[in-house]
Amino acid sequence: MVEDKTTSFMRSLCMGEIEEDVLLPFPQMAESEQETLRDIASALSGLLGPREEDFRAWDREGEMPSDFIDELKEFGLFGLVIGEAFGGMGLGNMAYSRTLQEIARYDASVAVTVGAHSSIGMKGLLLYGTDEQKKRFLPELATGERVAAFCLTEPGSGSDAASITTTAVRDGDHWVLNGNKLWITNGGFARFFTVFAKTGDAEQRGHMSAFIVPRELEGVSTSAHEDKMGIRASSTTMVHFDDVRVPAENLLGEEGKGFKVAMHILNSGRTGLGGGSVGAMKKLIQLSTKQATERKQFGKPIAEYGLIKQKVGHMVVECYAAEAAVSMVAGLVDAGYEEYAVEAAISKVFTTEALWRTADEALQVAGGNGFMREFPYERVLRDCRINRIFEGTNDILRLFVALTAMNDVASQLKELSSTMKGLLNDPIKGFGVLSNYAMKHASLQTNLGRPKGRFTKLHPALSEEAEGFETATRQLALAVDRVLRKHGKNIIGKQFASRRLADIMIDLFVLACVLSRAHASIEANGEEGAMREIQIAHVFAGQARGRIRRNFRKIDNNDDELIKALADGAFEDGKFAWDTI
Amino acid sequence: MKILVPIKRVADPDNANKVKVSADGTQVTTEGLEWKMNPFDEWALEAALRLTEDGAAKSRVGEVVLVSVGPKEAVATVREGLAKGAERGVIVEGNDNDLDSNVIAAALAAVAKKESPDLIVMGKQTVDGDSNVAGTVLADKLGWPIINYAMRIETSDDGKTFAIKRDLDVGVASVKVTGPVVITVSDSILHPESVKNGVTPADFKYPEAEGGRYASLKGIMQAKKKPIAEQTLSGLGVDAKRTVTYKKFELPPARSGQTTFVESVEELVEKLRTEAKVL
Ligand SMILES: Cc1cc2nc3c(=O)[nH]c(=O)nc-3n(C[C@H](O)[C@H](O)[C@H](O)COP(=O)(O)OP(=O)(O)OC[C@H]3O[C@@H](n4cnc5c(N)ncnc54)[C@H](O)[C@@H]3O)c2cc1C
Repeated sequence: MVEDKTTSFMRSLCMGEIEEDVLLPFPQMAESEQETLRDIASALSGLLGPREEDFRAWDREGEMPSDFIDELKEFGLFGLVIGEAFGGMGLGNMAYSRTLQEIARYDASVAVTVGAHSSIGMKGLLLYGTDEQKKRFLPELATGERVAAFCLTEPGSGSDAASITTTAVRDGDHWVLNGNKLWITNGGFARFFTVFAKTGDAEQRGHMSAFIVPRELEGVSTSAHEDKMGIRASSTTMVHFDDVRVPAENLLGEEGKGFKVAMHILNSGRTGLGGGSVGAMKKLIQLSTKQATERKQFGKPIAEYGLIKQKVGHMVVECYAAEAAVSMVAGLVDAGYEEYAVEAAISKVFTTEALWRTADEALQVAGGNGFMREFPYERVLRDCRINRIFEGTNDILRLFVALTAMNDVASQLKELSSTMKGLLNDPIKGFGVLSNYAMKHASLQTNLGRPKGRFTKLHPALSEEAEGFETATRQLALAVDRVLRKHGKNIIGKQFASRRLADIMIDLFVLACVLSRAHASIEANGEEGAMREIQIAHVFAGQARGRIRRNFRKIDNNDDELIKALADGAFEDGKFAWDTI
Repeated sequence: MKILVPIKRVADPDNANKVKVSADGTQVTTEGLEWKMNPFDEWALEAALRLTEDGAAKSRVGEVVLVSVGPKEAVATVREGLAKGAERGVIVEGNDNDLDSNVIAAALAAVAKKESPDLIVMGKQTVDGDSNVAGTVLADKLGWPIINYAMRIETSDDGKTFAIKRDLDVGVASVKVTGPVVITVSDSILHPESVKNGVTPADFKYPEAEGGRYASLKGIMQAKKKPIAEQTLSGLGVDAKRTVTYKKFELPPARSGQTTFVESVEELVEKLRTEAKVL
């Protein structure tokens, strides 16, 4: 573990540096915490195991009965991340993520209900609450007497969260809140809302603040349950604030810093969604192996056919990789790292897409049964689609990953260009900056003199995969440098390029997590005992290498402009322009 | 009321296909097995908890002490029982290979003498050894009555006498017994109204749950703080030796997995007689 908790593995990677001590050793929970998790798993199987038929019915009805929500409360599911002193379990990020994994094996709506409370609904209070605010609300949040909801999205403001129009105007000891929030998870029964509202002038874009709004305040109301594609039994409603007088002591964090509060909450909550996705993948793998070994066609179980093995084999690789990435991010949070936003976003994108692919393939393995409501596949597919949309769409997160990870390189270049201009005024400093940059560049080009250019601690059984990673890192650093020098600040508008870089970064981070995890297993079980994990690392590295190469190639050689023009043509026509009659 | 509940960790019967026998056939190998509380013990624990609580108010009125004889790792199983509501635990350390029903009964008797419970409630057997004698041998060593296969237990007003219904192949036997007594339970003890202890309202119905109650997260947290005493066989003065020795272990032959459908009962009987040769 490195001393400096402000290191970000991915930001360093864009500079060509592999900060292996951030990712090695692979994070592991203490033995006592593992035991607690085993107990939680067994208790959850008692609570949720016998409910399969209910979950199916509630999906149809589009609601879970309030009795059941009461049972979740009594069981203690709303106190997972709240400290023991306030009546919760005080789980760390890893243990929490692992618990959501377990819940998601049974039902996504339950996982989302619990996750929206702990990952985002009340997270702001944990991160920014004053002692007084915590004392006032945490005990009731822990028992579920108050279920929490996170209110950011509005009808006119989704991805562009800074554009919200809900306002909070100071009036004596109160803030007066007005506005409407859209698609709020747990809205129907939550009694604790973390609400984001504009507190600046109309022109001050993004000047917002966060507030704790208890439901009982006058002027708080919610609309009907939304009729959704998936996670249908979870509550999603509009929440309205009509001249709600919120006591000034309910301001959460600093006035005007609401955007930062919102982003911090979302970043630190990502391992909840990630854990849930991994849990669903594990369940699908279980279903698929059963289906494949029991279903016979052409006289043999379909498990014996190559195309079925190919699907199930990939599911295993993807699940291992997804779990490695989510555990890693959770481990970073628990270890006190501050800069994990890029890594957390990567884990969200990779895991939710891996689940989508797995759900699709599992349904295919089941054939026609997969399409029948009698079986769980179609529900999992519907349920998991939202994961790629909420808590930041995966598209927006890709842009975020690329732009944020390249930040350090951009600052270096900026310093470089201002130095070029001021070279005559301050030649000594100027030459220092210049030669630093020139050194970095030369060493990346030649691969010489790069102290952090390699993995030094990985087991030799993973050396081929590690070398591939190192080569790609060098290419990434050179590509980032080239792209930034070409586009400068305009990179923000170059989404095709950003997306390619983001996809490369996603593959590299997940690969690094896979290597770290496989390495830990070799250390614990020996090469023999870890053989299957070494094979997984090999397969994943091969797949990633192919994707990474393609993306690098396309940075300079692509059809981007043609594709944009075709899209513009379609926008102009408003339809598909060709026909065969 | 104080109740002693012996529990054992066993290989998870749902993963029984992972059970392997060592090459020389002298023992069952335990590597890679998943462990859980013996299901019969879970029923016993459920009965004991019902006897010592107000089920409607969810408050405890008596004490349940768990005791496990076995390897140190059994502490996880004891903790699980504490999470469901038992007050404390005792682990008597012993290597599974040195234990049989006789040694277990002797160890339990030693613990019972120290603890002087009003009742010992236990599983009728374990799903691994399947010997079905530990309860009876224990009662014999203590000189207490043994009531096997209890399906209903009702305590008298003074809490000393028990009206018990026994679940037998031939029907139900009703008995009255004065404690201290050893009781083993049948699965019918999980019936929503199987236990009447004079504290829980008489019309209260427990929810149907396979294997009895599950722990809550709160229970799991509390269990971490509950005491588990560690003892040894020699410390308890137990010098009993195995009376059963195993000659050889073999896995059962694989089943063919073939299913034949028949049209009538006559045909079934005929096939059972001539093909399966079981009648
Ligand atoms: C079931 C459900 C539960 C939800 N729960 C909550 C909740 O509890 N709390 C809460 O606050 N919100 C919640 N949401 C809202 C959710 O977070 C938003 O739907 C999400 O942020 C996307 O916003 P949007 O739907 O307005 O899409 P838009 O922002 O309109 O995006 C539409 C499309 O455009 C793309 N796009 C947008 N801007 C750009 C850009 N600059 N460059 C490239 N592409 C772009 C997006 O990626 C997307 O593909 C929930 C939504 C659903 C459906």
